[in-house]
Amino acid sequence: MTGPSENELVDSAPLPDGARDVLPIESAELAAIEASLRATFAGFGYREVRTPLLEFAGVMDRAQEGGLGRAFRLFDDHGQVLVVRPDLTIPVARLVAGRLGDHPGPLRVSYIAECLRPPPSGRAERLEERQAGIELVGLSGPAADAEVVSLLVGALTALGIDDLKVALGDVSLTRAVLDGVGVSESDQTRLQHAVRARNLVAWRRIAASLTLDDDARRLVAELPTVRGGSDVLRALAVAVPAAAPQCETLLTTLDLLEAHGTADYVMTDLGVLRDWGYYSGIVVEAYAPGVGRPVAVGGRYDGLIGRFGMARPAVGAAVLLDRVHEAIAARNGRAQFIDGVVLAGGIEIDVAAARALRSAGVVVVGVSDHPGVADALAAAEGWRYVARRVDAGFTIADRTDSRTVTCANLMEGLRSLRS
Amino acid sequence: MICVPLGALFAGSVARLRAAGLDVSPLEDAGRRLVVDAPDGTRYITTRPSDVPTYVQAGAADLGIVGKDVLRESAPDVYELLDLDFGHCRMVYATLAGEDPTPGALAHLGAVRVATKYPAIARRHFAATGRAVDVVKVNGSVEVAPLVGLAHGIVDLTATGRTLVENGLVERETILDASARLIANRVSHKILAGSVDTLIARLEQGLE
Repeated sequence: MTGPSENELVDSAPLPDGARDVLPIESAELAAIEASLRATFAGFGYREVRTPLLEFAGVMDRAQEGGLGRAFRLFDDHGQVLVVRPDLTIPVARLVAGRLGDHPGPLRVSYIAECLRPPPSGRAERLEERQAGIELVGLSGPAADAEVVSLLVGALTALGIDDLKVALGDVSLTRAVLDGVGVSESDQTRLQHAVRARNLVAWRRIAASLTLDDDARRLVAELPTVRGGSDVLRALAVAVPAAAPQCETLLTTLDLLEAHGTADYVMTDLGVLRDWGYYSGIVVEAYAPGVGRPVAVGGRYDGLIGRFGMARPAVGAAVLLDRVHEAIAARNGRAQFIDGVVLAGGIEIDVAAARALRSAGVVVVGVSDHPGVADALAAAEGWRYVARRVDAGFTIADRTDSRTVTCANLMEGLRSLRS
Repeated sequence: MICVPLGALFAGSVARLRAAGLDVSPLEDAGRRLVVDAPDGTRYITTRPSDVPTYVQAGAADLGIVGKDVLRESAPDVYELLDLDFGHCRMVYATLAGEDPTPGALAHLGAVRVATKYPAIARRHFAATGRAVDVVKVNGSVEVAPLVGLAHGIVDLTATGRTLVENGLVERETILDASARLIANRVSHKILAGSVDTLIARLEQGLE
């Protein structure tokens, strides 16, 4: 079957860089992940919304200074520039500021959808990223932050990722410390660039060049590697009194996480800042061992919704479904059999039996009775049973253990195989 | 799991790790094996220098040692943790000795043609200095390009400048001072924070 001709066939219908198809086994696994996440989100009272795939570029560009980065853009009939959503938080912020602007709040919404970004040239990055996210709008403060972090931990552990780690940084705390020791706005911008590039060598060099006393310089140099629990925050509050209120707020959040029963998964890490022009408070990254990039990200962005209408504080997080799937697939190993029967000769040889099996929750798929065809289909798709007509009834083979029964009708045969 | 570059930075990498108190003897005796395990449980992977960020970004290695030139060229999504202060060299723009052909090329041809193994760095350097450039990507013996008229100049790495001189080239501009860096995978840096911090502290001690 395989040979050069088959490869030519694939090459004749290529996909854009970074695009890919999802085949049945993976699709079923992703659907199970999404169902679990939906249930967890709904259990916390988050209601699902859907936003359009296309938005006005001018509206999406409002989200950030300098506009959106990578995105697919196109023109509509009237010459207006449209953008294929490169992000999901921004459309949800637009929705919350607009159609849901009169909601009394707090507003809890969730979404499961994909966003599209052209992959940078030469990188094996996906074009589409499917995310399952939550946004808590209209509440500021530790209670809201702790709710979102705990919901994220709950959602990921419910998927079986129990060696999860969540790192918690805080942009407002980092800013308060830098302001407190007297780092100028322009130097803070340089530090911000270093953090965005994840370049701690550059951060330390900038810190060393600051005109501060030795203690303050050392404190700035070490700031992105400060991690641990409440002790490091208490020490920081003493070292930089101007940042004590922010330390106190984060300490309250940690206490609340304790109450939620999620504190064991969470570590404070002041190096987690992501893009600190976008975030205004806590910043969250969740990691699953074995997956080289965070499986979920989030934080507080109190300034975002106001760019689309009435200002409202907001905190949210998004689970990156492909990465979560990678984490779970790495754990579960090989695929399981699907509970169903491949019927050689087609459904039509016994339609009544097929209907009875379906109503009992057993899948029946028909295929021709040419030799080997039914077994090939079962092997290709993972069906557990293969049934075929014999003189007075059926033989059914169980592919998990190669047992075979012969029986007068299909239902009885399955029952005896399962007993 | 630490990814160590073969080639020019290999000896220095091994020396730094040894100075940090790690048992690197299996790495030195690796022969042709590309993956070796040390008695302390550390696994070392050896790869081509330009592949180190790839392994680390994907999480196939937790940490890696790589030149700043490679980092600047491929801009991987990894943490750059420490300047290991060896493997010093400079990324330079060089042309044939005598009159610099660059201004003439810019005036008459609109762009200067530059041969390099580092197209991203070359492009960024000329863009940042407001000059148009046609980058010709070559994979080796870059110095030949201006000699045979493939390009007006080259962007390349040099430690002593000897190869440049031997090929009749003159350094015109310094683009970057490079040295070896310790990099970490985004997730390993957080999940293995304790051991990463310890290793950094010991490497820093070794540097002093």
